[in-house]
Amino acid sequence: MNEIRDRYVILLQGIMLALNVVAVVAICAFIYSTTEQIRYNYDARTFLDGVVSIPKNPRGNLLICVALLGILLFTFLVRQFARPRKNVWTVATLILDMFVCVAVIIQLDFNYNGLLLLVFASILAYVRDGKLKMFFVALAIVGYLVADYELLAIYLPLYNVSDYIGYYTSNVQQYLFSIYNILISLNIILFVIYCVYVINSQRNTLDKINQLYHDLQIANEQLKEYADMSVRMAQTRERNRLAREIHDTLGHTLTGIATGLDACIATIDLAPEQTKKQLELLARVSREGLEDVRRSVGELRPDALERLHLDEAISKMIMDMSQVSDVEISFETDETHLKYDEDEENAIYRVIQESITNAVRHGKAKKIWITMKRMKGELRLVIRDDGCGCEKLTSGFGLKHMKERIELLNGTIAFDGGDGFTVTARIPIRWGEKYD
Amino acid sequence: MKTWQKVLILAGIACAAAVLPPALARYRSDRETVLEFGMFTGSNWNVANANSFVIIDKAIERFEEEHPGVRIHYYSGVRKDDYSEWFSRKLLAGEQPDVFMVLGTDFNQFSSMGVMKDLGPLMEQDESFDETKYFSSTFRAGQYRDVQYALPYETVPTLMFVNKTLLVKEGIEIPHLDWTWGDMYRICEKVTKDLDGDGILDQFGSYNFDWTDAVYANGGEIFEPDGRECYLTDDRVVESVQFVQRLNELYDGKKVTQEDFNSGVVAFMPLTFAEYRTYKTYPYKIKKYASFQWDCITMPAGYQGGNYSQVDTLLMGISADTNKQELAWEFLKLLTYDERIQMEIFRSSQGSSVLKAVTQSREMESIVQEDMEGSDTVIGGDLLGRIIEEGHVEPQFKKHEQALALADSEIGQILENDETIDSSLKILQRTVNSYLQQ
Repeated sequence: MNEIRDRYVILLQGIMLALNVVAVVAICAFIYSTTEQIRYNYDARTFLDGVVSIPKNPRGNLLICVALLGILLFTFLVRQFARPRKNVWTVATLILDMFVCVAVIIQLDFNYNGLLLLVFASILAYVRDGKLKMFFVALAIVGYLVADYELLAIYLPLYNVSDYIGYYTSNVQQYLFSIYNILISLNIILFVIYCVYVINSQRNTLDKINQLYHDLQIANEQLKEYADMSVRMAQTRERNRLAREIHDTLGHTLTGIATGLDACIATIDLAPEQTKKQLELLARVSREGLEDVRRSVGELRPDALERLHLDEAISKMIMDMSQVSDVEISFETDETHLKYDEDEENAIYRVIQESITNAVRHGKAKKIWITMKRMKGELRLVIRDDGCGCEKLTSGFGLKHMKERIELLNGTIAFDGGDGFTVTARIPIRWGEKYD
Repeated sequence: MKTWQKVLILAGIACAAAVLPPALARYRSDRETVLEFGMFTGSNWNVANANSFVIIDKAIERFEEEHPGVRIHYYSGVRKDDYSEWFSRKLLAGEQPDVFMVLGTDFNQFSSMGVMKDLGPLMEQDESFDETKYFSSTFRAGQYRDVQYALPYETVPTLMFVNKTLLVKEGIEIPHLDWTWGDMYRICEKVTKDLDGDGILDQFGSYNFDWTDAVYANGGEIFEPDGRECYLTDDRVVESVQFVQRLNELYDGKKVTQEDFNSGVVAFMPLTFAEYRTYKTYPYKIKKYASFQWDCITMPAGYQGGNYSQVDTLLMGISADTNKQELAWEFLKLLTYDERIQMEIFRSSQGSSVLKAVTQSREMESIVQEDMEGSDTVIGGDLLGRIIEEGHVEPQFKKHEQALALADSEIGQILENDETIDSSLKILQRTVNSYLQQ
């Protein structure tokens, strides 16, 4: 709404309003003063012979029109200065304007219907809603066509300003007719200028939007390229790190072990005791190397799990997800201390992550419930959502991936897309078993 | 306070200031009920009338008694000649009275402008109202394009004045009430003569019997009811003009004047009922027609018509903008529909009541008789009623008066110049039609 509301539009609207106020007041005042003059000159009966109808009360007419124009001015000021934030107020004042205009036009017996152009102008500027605008525009156009004096005078007894102008001498008549016609034409000219201006500025806005959209598309493509590039770079970096790691630790250790073993081969016959010590040293080095490898591999573990405990990692994931989407996720578990083996933690974490992603992306869920319970030596993990579910399970939702992970741990996983979507996984946990 | 807030408040105050005073004024005026009545002083029938307020005053007195808290106000002193202008000025300012008299010449203009209320719904709602109590001709006079905008108040039919002294002198019987053009022509032919032998005619059959009187008696119409065309070439109209021409031919080109009539040398003259009553009673009977005996009978019947004549009716209507519709209707009904008030017309005015029951009553005959000499026979209620009921009502359309004046002056020329009636009327018909269709 704001781009249209620039100074020239307001100025043009103001001028149109002023012109219409002048026109209506001038017509009413003219009819009133002419009536008084006719009465003063005792020409009333002769005058009535030449007219079809007369206004019921010229003075009352003038006062009512002034009051109605006051309302128009008031709504105009409300729209300009109060700047109603809500569209409702703009629409309400425009509807009020319409009624006021109809009332004025009826007061004037359709002798002047330029006020409709004024309402039309406001509608063009303020109403942005396409359907509402069409409705208003249709109303205004129909109104302008129907409220035509020449048309209505066939069916209704209407008074005619021309009859009142005709009361004067032909010299004065010429001036009066010119003023009357100039007022009407001026209003139409202003309206046309206004329309051209508004349509132009709306077209400019449209051009701007198109340009921006184009720019955005280019930026998007660039961003995609950057993303690809950064993935490749990350891969390269990771490979380099892995190479370095292997070179630094495994390479170092293996080199040491190889050299040590060579020494052992040379000394095993001469000094078996010495060699035994040497081998024990090598065994320690190789175990240390194994530690190093394990640590290196550990550093390659995913995301939060790398740094955090499982429960913290899950909480963090839930929090992250809740922040980026408006989904509400609850997590319940009766396990006080979530600590499992790494592969188990990985599988649990991945299943939860994948299920949440599916629920949000495909199920459009608003709520997700996650429960984790120990049952008869098994860990039962249930992820349920209130989304649209799916009648037929489609591959590609990462379901296959989840299944593989769980099966690797000798567990089972089931999916149910009937009411929302439910993922139920049973994982036999190696409670307290030591694993190397 | 921000500037715009100040501006808004000021604008609000300005609006209230513009709307409040008229609303308050309206509220104040509602507290005391005043019904405005528009009337003129004097007679509608161009005869002297000293008692013009008597009937209205009686009606107002009765109305205010029956409706406590209601006052009827009327403007006194507006003469009939000024009434149209007076009313028009009130109308322009939007101050027209609630109930008012309408002149025949204003009725179609005001009806077409929507100044007068359509009385149809009021008549339907009111179960005590029966339109058949009015003479149908007078009731129809209040219609414009089939809508009842006014009710008749007083009516005046046209009668035929007969100089009884002259007829007796010539040994002619007073014509019967169902006499015809043939009878009239024969009598006129017989009485038209040169009495002093100077070679110039000085006794005549008729004065002022014009072609319109003849058209109505011949059952004809001059205009189509809506005023879109005239019927000047219609048989009945042509016959009427020809009949007037034949009468004129009897007088050898001599123009009969009012003076001739007043001095008692003319046998027939059309005369309104109002004039009849005025000149039959003291003091006016001394002033006019005192030198001979006279009476009134019906108009002579044309070849295709009957003893019909023009009926003039004074109408009353209600303003379309009145906010006291019920009271206005009650008052209008009192004036036009109440038999006691209508009887007052015979007492205090010169016209006739528009109600059959009143006009055809014995009481009416005795009231009219009161003012007359015992030797004069009073026109009977039944006869008067018949004349009114069968009377011709002028059509109501905007250009009627002007069109009739145009036709009248042209036909006057035709008669004077002794032109061929048939073809001249054909030419005139085109002229008048083109005026009507302008």
